[in-house]
Amino acid sequence: MSFYNRRRFLTTTAGAAGALAVAGALGTPAFAQDRRVRHFWWGNPERDKRTFAVIDIFNGKNPGIVVEGETLGFADYFTKLTTQIAGGNMPDVIQMGYGVMFEYINNGAIVPLDDYVGKSLDVSKIDRSALDAGTVGGKLYAVSIGANSHVAMYNTRLYEAAGIKVGDNFDPFGWTYDDVARIGKAIKDATGVPGTDDNTADYQNFSDFVGQKGAAMFTDGQYTVPQEVVEEYWATWKMIRDAGATVPAEETAALAGVADLAQTGLVTGKSATSYAWSNQLVGAQALIEDRLGAAMYPNTPAMVPGSIVQPSQFVCLTRDSKDAEAATSYMSAFVNDLDMTKVLGLERGIPSQPDVRAALEPQLTDIEKVSVAFFDGIQGKTMLLPPPPPSGANEIEQTFERLAVEVLTGGRSPAEVAADFLQQASDIIARA
Amino acid sequence: MNRVIRKNLAGYAFLLPWLVGFLLLAIGPILFSLYLSFTKYNVINPPQWIGLDNYAYMFGRDARFRKALQVTFTFVAFAVPAKLVFALAVAMLLDKGIRAIGIYRALFYLPSILGGSIAVAILWRNLFNADGVVNTILGFVGIDGPAWLADPRYSLWTLIVLAVWQFGSPMLIFLAGLRAIPQELYEAAEIDAAGKVKQFFAITVPLLAPVIFFNLVLQMIEAFKSFSGAFIISGGSGAPLDSLLFYTVYLFNEAFSFLRMGYASALAWVLLAIIAAFTAIAFWTSKYWVHYEGERG
Amino acid sequence: MDAALTEPLALARSLRAAKAQRAKRAALLKHVFLIAASLVMIYPLLWMLASSFKPNNQIFGDPSLWPREVTWANYPEGWNGMAVSFGVFFRNSLFVTILSVIGNVLSCSFTAYAFARLEFTGKRLWFALMMMTLMIPYHVVLIPQYLTFLKLGWVDTYLPLIVPQFLAGDAFFIFLMVQFFRQLPRELDEAAMIDGCSPFKIYWAIIMPLSIPAIATAAIFSFIWTWDDFLGPLVYLNDVKDYTVPLALRMFNSQDSVTQYGQMFAMSILSLLPIFLFFIIFQRLIIRGIAMSGLK
Repeated sequence: MSFYNRRRFLTTTAGAAGALAVAGALGTPAFAQDRRVRHFWWGNPERDKRTFAVIDIFNGKNPGIVVEGETLGFADYFTKLTTQIAGGNMPDVIQMGYGVMFEYINNGAIVPLDDYVGKSLDVSKIDRSALDAGTVGGKLYAVSIGANSHVAMYNTRLYEAAGIKVGDNFDPFGWTYDDVARIGKAIKDATGVPGTDDNTADYQNFSDFVGQKGAAMFTDGQYTVPQEVVEEYWATWKMIRDAGATVPAEETAALAGVADLAQTGLVTGKSATSYAWSNQLVGAQALIEDRLGAAMYPNTPAMVPGSIVQPSQFVCLTRDSKDAEAATSYMSAFVNDLDMTKVLGLERGIPSQPDVRAALEPQLTDIEKVSVAFFDGIQGKTMLLPPPPPSGANEIEQTFERLAVEVLTGGRSPAEVAADFLQQASDIIARA
Repeated sequence: MNRVIRKNLAGYAFLLPWLVGFLLLAIGPILFSLYLSFTKYNVINPPQWIGLDNYAYMFGRDARFRKALQVTFTFVAFAVPAKLVFALAVAMLLDKGIRAIGIYRALFYLPSILGGSIAVAILWRNLFNADGVVNTILGFVGIDGPAWLADPRYSLWTLIVLAVWQFGSPMLIFLAGLRAIPQELYEAAEIDAAGKVKQFFAITVPLLAPVIFFNLVLQMIEAFKSFSGAFIISGGSGAPLDSLLFYTVYLFNEAFSFLRMGYASALAWVLLAIIAAFTAIAFWTSKYWVHYEGERG
Repeated sequence: MDAALTEPLALARSLRAAKAQRAKRAALLKHVFLIAASLVMIYPLLWMLASSFKPNNQIFGDPSLWPREVTWANYPEGWNGMAVSFGVFFRNSLFVTILSVIGNVLSCSFTAYAFARLEFTGKRLWFALMMMTLMIPYHVVLIPQYLTFLKLGWVDTYLPLIVPQFLAGDAFFIFLMVQFFRQLPRELDEAAMIDGCSPFKIYWAIIMPLSIPAIATAAIFSFIWTWDDFLGPLVYLNDVKDYTVPLALRMFNSQDSVTQYGQMFAMSILSLLPIFLFFIIFQRLIIRGIAMSGLK
């Protein structure tokens, strides 16, 4: 008995098709007359409540379809999704982030939506750029549910205390690295709090810098950042650090690789500026008493755009969906139905559909207004979204964050670390 | 003959629940992970057989694997003995009649409950930052302490301190073991005017040996597999500079961040072999120092 | 004569008084030491407790333990903050945990009795295999285990969390009890055997009652570890209404939006209460063994 089980277990699970059949045969029984759609997202209590409310609205408007919500915290979302992929029982509709999504698309876990566009799925009003971001090889795979960009979040009280005024001696949408050094030093002198975090180990700032230097991260699947750009990036932040504008190098090194908003300098009161994604503004504001401001990442005096606007989150259809038509009609309502989007609000980021944005305008909170104003401010100052990164991009990012610590602690010279980083990056690409 | 069958019948009858669970639920997944270790498996697509490639890469070219081994061995070598000594000392302190002993036991157990929570990560940062509590105290005696967590030379030591601080489980087991030692033996020793040190080595250690052995083996296994402390404090990455790259943190990232489940399975089997070797050594030496009361004579 | 008699008596009395004094001072010292040590032990708990009474935007900026403004709101808001009330999570956790403790103690003591007291062929092999299940890193068996339970149709139920506990799934407890059982004198079994007791009777009427400290220890660990486990519930439960407390606590943490840390810490404090209660009650059973004292 047990031997039989074990052997069948091994043979069926070795092939994904076999596993699918098993999942199909043993999946939770649905009521025959109802078309079931499982929607899985990562969230927080507020988002969960709103999303469950939206599901109720949809179910009320669409008799015959029953959407079921499943949710987890971000830290656990992908662990669970990975086990479900292996088991061939992913939910029908899943939430995806910009980077990791392409691994899933490249390997076929997420399926194209083109067959449903114009039928069950209406994307006619979605921003062109948002659709492009979800398109790979000419096929649409993902619908954006919130735009995102790099943001320098700053503590307005500390800026004001140092006499830093927007429009006077500070341009949030056109400041340079020299400005960061000058302003950071002024804040440190006036308040005792360092003016800025040190981005030596921040891959997002580095990726901006690469664009600002006119280089590309990836060309034809290869990692093509020139070594002098890596070195110049670290030299730039060394200049800011040496000016006395940043938190001490040890503190920065201690936080390298820690993405937790609660531990950033801005929130703990150890610096006046921290760097993040624009959809984190609301979360950061909730953790500090002072009012937050939003600026772009700094640039070089040449002002070549380096920041991008990219969707923070998408909804995608998985290959395990048994009723793609019902699933896509739910996805469609999720981004278009004004009754539903009104409940969702800006909680997942700035919506990519103009009617939805207009309908939300009157109900914004203060920090949401800052976020919307930020998006107005960066219009025309960002670069085009590069093609989707190849497999391994995520690992290269972690490698950068790991090695940059050596630049901070002074283990090896920046030139040696840069050469090592580029070597490891190309090894990662070769292995992926 | 009949007696042998009867004996086996009784033995297997008691073993049955475990045997059923082992054969039905445990061994399959374990063998499957062994199979996966010879494959390239990104979870999304079916595994592809690649023979010994994963193992060849691991021993031939993977510098992070070697780093992870080094970190983990250092951790095991220092955290396990320190934790055991500490746990035994506290258990002996709490064994004697003290008022409100239950409360103390519960309080001393607390750090072990909080395990890998965010409160612990924040506490460790407050303690071991450049301007943290530890350096403030060192400052009183004129020592200028380093940035413990940020400096790859010291960060691992803060994790060893964390492990020792979470000494609750071995302490409780020691306590249960101490309670099984007949009190008369100590009373007799008192009459013979044997000192506390002599009592400790002549009575406590030999009679506690099975429990010491248990704690040694289990703490060693747990230390080799240690995950959550390093994971939460380093933000999941093993930073700074891989100085907190515990073996299982590396394994988890390979499996779930980079979707290399085949390679992660190979890593797991190498760790399993290492742990099994050390456990076997421990069992072999136990013949010489662990004697069971029930099996004397 | 009198004086000669009373003097040594007085001396003895004063000596005894001095000894009592010294013992008292020693006890006091011990308490001072223990209280100081306890403070180091419970600092994170105090921090969490203090944070649970702070408004969300004062938790990280202000490191002091004493809240500047004390707010109770985190407790009711955290309790009702999720899509499902925390009462549901507590009920689910209690259900899983209590069944697991019962299953663990029964099945592991059963197995341990076989390994510690009975002779049968293949014993050493089975014991080695049992130890192996302790050594494999659990992250790599997560997916194969999931596939097994999927095949059994148990995903999205509590069965994968509970059934293994009744099948002695955690070798830690087996090994623990083996070590304690082996310490009990063999003569007990032999005498009982001569009286015609079955192995089950010996297990139930002799071994178990004499091992109460070990059983209590196992029960405590079993309770705490099951209560704290999130990986199992994470993988096997899909419906929020089925979630357990630790899984729910992790859902507070938002990577890209508001994390209500105050509420999270408030609920964390509440989630420690059952553990604390269970611990306090069961640690009383770690008593001086009745075991050998009466029997030798």
